[in-house]
Amino acid sequence: MSTETITWRDRAATVGEKVQNQLAFVLSDRMALVGVLVMVSFVFLGVFGPMLAPHDPIEDDIRDDEGDLLRLEGPSSVAPLGTTVYGKDILSQFLAGARPTLIVGLFGGLGTGVLGFLVGLVSGYYGGWVDEVLMRLTDLTFSLPFMPMALLLLTFVTPSIWLITVIIAGFLWKMPARVVRAEVLTLRERTFVKSARASGAGHLRTMFFHVAPNVLPIGFLYTAYGVAWAIAAAASLAFLGFGDPTTTSWGRMLRMVFDSGNIRVAWWWVFPPAIGIAAVTTSVFLIGRAYEEIINPEIQTEQ
Amino acid sequence: MSDFQRFLAKRIGIAIGLTLIAVTIIFVVLRMLPGSPFESLITAGNLTQGQVDEIMALYGLDKPIWQQYLIYLRNILTFQFGYSILQSQPVWDILAPKLANTLILLVPALVTTAVVSTLLGMYVGWNRGSKAETASIIGTTFLRSTPVFITAIFFVIIFSYTLDLVPAFGMRSITATPDGLLDTYMSMDFLHHYILPFTVTVLFYSGDFLLLARNGVVEKKGSEFLKLHRAKGLSENEQLMRAGRNSMLPVITYFALRLGMIFQGLILLEVVFAWPGIGRALVLAIQQQDYPLVQASVFIMALAVIIMNLVADVLYAYFDPTVSVSGGGA
Repeated sequence: MSTETITWRDRAATVGEKVQNQLAFVLSDRMALVGVLVMVSFVFLGVFGPMLAPHDPIEDDIRDDEGDLLRLEGPSSVAPLGTTVYGKDILSQFLAGARPTLIVGLFGGLGTGVLGFLVGLVSGYYGGWVDEVLMRLTDLTFSLPFMPMALLLLTFVTPSIWLITVIIAGFLWKMPARVVRAEVLTLRERTFVKSARASGAGHLRTMFFHVAPNVLPIGFLYTAYGVAWAIAAAASLAFLGFGDPTTTSWGRMLRMVFDSGNIRVAWWWVFPPAIGIAAVTTSVFLIGRAYEEIINPEIQTEQ
Repeated sequence: MSDFQRFLAKRIGIAIGLTLIAVTIIFVVLRMLPGSPFESLITAGNLTQGQVDEIMALYGLDKPIWQQYLIYLRNILTFQFGYSILQSQPVWDILAPKLANTLILLVPALVTTAVVSTLLGMYVGWNRGSKAETASIIGTTFLRSTPVFITAIFFVIIFSYTLDLVPAFGMRSITATPDGLLDTYMSMDFLHHYILPFTVTVLFYSGDFLLLARNGVVEKKGSEFLKLHRAKGLSENEQLMRAGRNSMLPVITYFALRLGMIFQGLILLEVVFAWPGIGRALVLAIQQQDYPLVQASVFIMALAVIIMNLVADVLYAYFDPTVSVSGGGA
């Protein structure tokens, strides 16, 4: 049995078909469908939000007809979502704030997923001392508490959105790594892997072409979760005052309203960023859960 | 030595190694990165060189770095955290009451949520496809995936500001001057402040336990031993209890893991509710660059994680006969 007869195109076609089937299945779950809709609008806001914003979120002051600064005004025709205590337009801040939130989520999630997937794959496939070293490394990141360490690092270096993304991925990769490794451990002993080796496929080829495709769904799942975790972590850091000071993110908006002591009155300032973050993180998990039902055969019992 | 003892010895060894590495990282981060807290003191220019040397000597900063490291290791591993720079008090005297405040909030909340959500999870897992299942999954997914400070803010807005039922922040009224332990933690005033952060904590952690228990029961539902129980004529509830008991393992180990992450997870809650716990103390200490305090609180949090990871591993190996204690190896 030669593996060479399977061309790249065949491979891509089967993977494509699988993805399509799974996608259709996920979309048949009503909760996941809502989640997908929320995510699509979020990505739209992240890409076009700053262009749609009627004002500059930080530079422009909102004034009434007499030219007085509108401080902490509720929603009106001038500012549909009201103004901040500094007289800035909240709608514009909300629209512009989607982008940094999307960037951290997307790249933090991808970084988490890819790094964790590779570590888990290599660790599980090779076993032995490679596994021992990599797993002790994951133990180490598990034993370093994320929040305090991130706060510590961010006090000494000026937080930038990319640095925050790197720190988040640097802490979160351990989650997919452990799960992917456990999965690879069971796959390694299966016949198709052994026959690939026996028919002359090298370690790298066996690992990436025969083992990896079977754990890819879990990799996707944890990349998606990584997106939600990264958004939550970045928002939390921003809320504690350790966000990128140059951008308006949803987390930073919440920091501003909390810090200025206006939570009590300015609901129009609190709700847009708070609901935005909550909707996005919840959606990711709703989609993830529906997907998990498909790829985890053990919870797929007849209903 | 039995297999289990050998496994135990190995895990304890690893935990000690991790503690040393964690402690070293804290040292490196705090000393090597630019901008030591004393720099601002010195560049402020109000001190003579003699006074500067005196302060540096007091904190051992005049010695070579490796000596500083050894002294630091000895001190921190024997829980001698030194003096707070800003509050001129022993760090431990500052942190101990904060630690107590954190634990008094979190341990009862975690126990409550573990018991209640696990039972609920077993119930909805058994009744798969019911409305209760859908509702509980949406609800807990929202609660566990939303950053906890946002949930907390929603709750403060609803229950404190709108309905005016409970105070929005603090652990006691400003006028209260409790005296003694009983008075501090058992008064109505304390309870009044306690209920909101407690509820949010319970809700935040409910999702994980609920889903673990649900998946456990769903997985067990089709299994052979349940068919036997059904054939024996046990009622639905009796069957559920047996399915539930067999899916307890992940819940127990998860509980241990959560207990370890307890401090760090709730830094945000403590900040929103102005709860005088160790997480809020850490944030304040970082802002004020009071680094003996920072170092001690990060160390305590890391140690809690390491110890509870160890406990979770050991519990898992002890209770699950299918886990090979000789390690996963080839």
